[in-house]
Amino acid sequence: MEKSDSFKYYYPSEKESQNSWNTGFGLSVSDRRLAFSRQASFDQAREPHTPVSINLNDPAKPLLARSVSNIDIPTGLFYSLDESNKYSGEGNGSAQKFSFMLFVFSILRIMRSGNRYMKRLFVMISLNVAYSTTELVIGLFTGRVGLVSDAFHLTFGCGLLTFSLFAMAASRKQPDRVYTYGYKRLEALSAFTNALFLLFMSFSLAVEGLHAFIQDESEHKHYLIVSAVTNLLVNLIGVWFFRNYARINLVYRNAEDMNYHSVCLHVLADSIRSAGLILASWLLSLGVQNAEVLCLGLVSVAVFMLVMPLFKATGGILLQMAPPRIPTSALSKCWRQINAREDVLEIAQARFWEFVPGHVVGSVSIQVKKGMDDRTTLQFVHGLYHDLGVQNLTVQTDDV
Amino acid sequence: MMDEHNSQPGQIIEISIDVPTGETSTGGSKFCGEAPCGLSDAGSKSKDARERSASIRKLLIAVVLCVVFMSVEVVGGIKANSLAILTDAAHLLSDVASFAISLFAIWASGWEATPRQSYGFFRLEILGALVSMQLIWLLAGVLVYEAIVRLIHETGEVNGFLMFIVASFGLVVNIIMAVLLGHDHGHGHGHGHEHGHGHDENGHHSHGMTISTPHHHHHEHPEDDHCHGHEDPADHHSHGDHADHHDHEDHAHHHDDHVEPLLDKPTNGPKQKKGKNINVQGAYLHVLGDSIQSIGVMIGGAIIWYKPEWKIVDLICTLIFSVIVLGTTIRMLRSILEVLMESTPREIDATKLEKGLLEMKEVVAVHELHIWAITVGKILLACHVKIMPEANADLVLDNVLNYIKREYNISHITIQIER
Repeated sequence: MEKSDSFKYYYPSEKESQNSWNTGFGLSVSDRRLAFSRQASFDQAREPHTPVSINLNDPAKPLLARSVSNIDIPTGLFYSLDESNKYSGEGNGSAQKFSFMLFVFSILRIMRSGNRYMKRLFVMISLNVAYSTTELVIGLFTGRVGLVSDAFHLTFGCGLLTFSLFAMAASRKQPDRVYTYGYKRLEALSAFTNALFLLFMSFSLAVEGLHAFIQDESEHKHYLIVSAVTNLLVNLIGVWFFRNYARINLVYRNAEDMNYHSVCLHVLADSIRSAGLILASWLLSLGVQNAEVLCLGLVSVAVFMLVMPLFKATGGILLQMAPPRIPTSALSKCWRQINAREDVLEIAQARFWEFVPGHVVGSVSIQVKKGMDDRTTLQFVHGLYHDLGVQNLTVQTDDV
Repeated sequence: MMDEHNSQPGQIIEISIDVPTGETSTGGSKFCGEAPCGLSDAGSKSKDARERSASIRKLLIAVVLCVVFMSVEVVGGIKANSLAILTDAAHLLSDVASFAISLFAIWASGWEATPRQSYGFFRLEILGALVSMQLIWLLAGVLVYEAIVRLIHETGEVNGFLMFIVASFGLVVNIIMAVLLGHDHGHGHGHGHEHGHGHDENGHHSHGMTISTPHHHHHEHPEDDHCHGHEDPADHHSHGDHADHHDHEDHAHHHDDHVEPLLDKPTNGPKQKKGKNINVQGAYLHVLGDSIQSIGVMIGGAIIWYKPEWKIVDLICTLIFSVIVLGTTIRMLRSILEVLMESTPREIDATKLEKGLLEMKEVVAVHELHIWAITVGKILLACHVKIMPEANADLVLDNVLNYIKREYNISHITIQIER
């Protein structure tokens, strides 16, 4: 079909272009910052993908055509009033039903169709829930406040992990009318929420340390050691499950990377906290004064440093910052190259942002001379930015 | 003027143009799509700046009030050696933290765009609101935990009376701030300062049992310097329900009815054109949630004071009211989520827009239509439009741009015309 001619060179060479993009910017296979540094192939990174067409009315169109999107409506033919109602109703309905139904059904589907990490996360969440309920019940019946507070902390963490799980399940949904880029942002959002919770936790630990310093009384009695040890064990199981992501500075290649990283950091921070409690009680038994304040302060600082890079990265995605992996020099080089073309007068603006790590969207606006061949210019600009890894690009050419 | 471009092919020419302030791209000119860019032209910037400074002023007053009350409570709590008062002071501290976050978000969203942050910093508002909402959820959990702790401490040191007094004080404080944050005085009426001071003087007058009473006293005592405040809301349609408030003459404890009109205000926010800043809305919700929870603690305290054996009532009350508070945040969370997921904003009907585009003569098809919002009021659009081969691309581009701007008032549009 004619409309795919302009951009048809996007289809075959995705692997090479992706490799060239990656090696061009210093990400080699043995880069230790990658999550799976032992795997040589880049196959698992998602290739630059375009929204899959779900245009049910026209099965003749190729599914992954570059210029066919699921918002494409053929002129007039299939367009009727109830169809428009169906689409808009479906859009709004799906946006609302999305939260409730998905949540229920995804739990059921997880054990059957989830990938490795989803299953592991599910196991972890169930473990945590079981543990915190027992702790809560025991604490309520024996009247020990420390156990109850620990159980609450765990429950909060469980809630967050459940949200992460839900994000993992929900983000596989295809883009639709309302969420035109898809649902993968949910993973970045859940990573941000996890990072935020960890920051809150570090602040609250610091406040607790201050409190202990002022009050100078030891709140952690000995019966809490058992719970701290069990907590530590449960969280270490979690860290083992997500051991590939147990790193502070991670390079994110796709949305799931962020989510898994945040889950791993969550469990890691919890285990650091339990370890800190155990250390504090041991030091107290040794007779070290202010051991509790020391340990709480240490744990708080450690968790803060652990979480900061993730927080900044997810914050950058949500703030629509320019993609961190495309250096400004590359962008200005493209800028200059476009300006150097004969028929281009100037570039008005070029904006890029990342939907999720690995999926870059851009919009460029250029001023051209009258009567130029727009197709070659468009092809050139698209090709230039596609080599940088920009998947969705909209180029507006204004004749002056 | 543009003749420099006609030099030999292959020569790279660097063009530096004086960039007007507020331009967002890496050295571009003032055009985006041949129309003033809604994100950064002079008119919208000054309007933004005005709204922002109004919101900042409101929040600053709220923060100052909070800090004052908090220090009062801390001093009183240390003197009376009461844990309950100190925990309430800690809640006020969390209020201060949340307001500080909102203030920072509002201030920072006015920063100039940089090459790395090409759309400006407007998103920071949304992130700040998200953090505020999470703080509310966190605090609801903390309150439930404290109720459980109170339940466990069977030693009878739970002083129902003290709980009641502290909670009612907190309630009064929160209602003052709710009224402060809720009124739209910032729109050039200049009564903001007097309003704040008026409340300061009349702040401590009644520790009534029901919430209708203090609210009425608020509006009836300072009638003189307050009448400006209440004539204005009659004009703003967001305060239409405020009139219902005044007719609420019965002092019975219909807190649900009381809550309903208050709840309507935030929901009007995102939908109307001159809505409240989303951070001020978030702060308002925060304060509202605190008031609701104070009511819960007050009820629990009153019942425990009256009948000290029924300790479980405290926990039940707290649970119910926490759920109510979380319910008030759901709507705002949903709009935050929609913006952060780059979804089509609710007020734009994408189908209608597409249909309208297709109805134009030369347009054959529309691909890759993406409409998303940077923050609640600012919307962007990008799409590929396929036109007939013989059509005049420039004309079609103009038509499309004008249509979209006229009908949907979208600030920033990028259209790729293909044949």
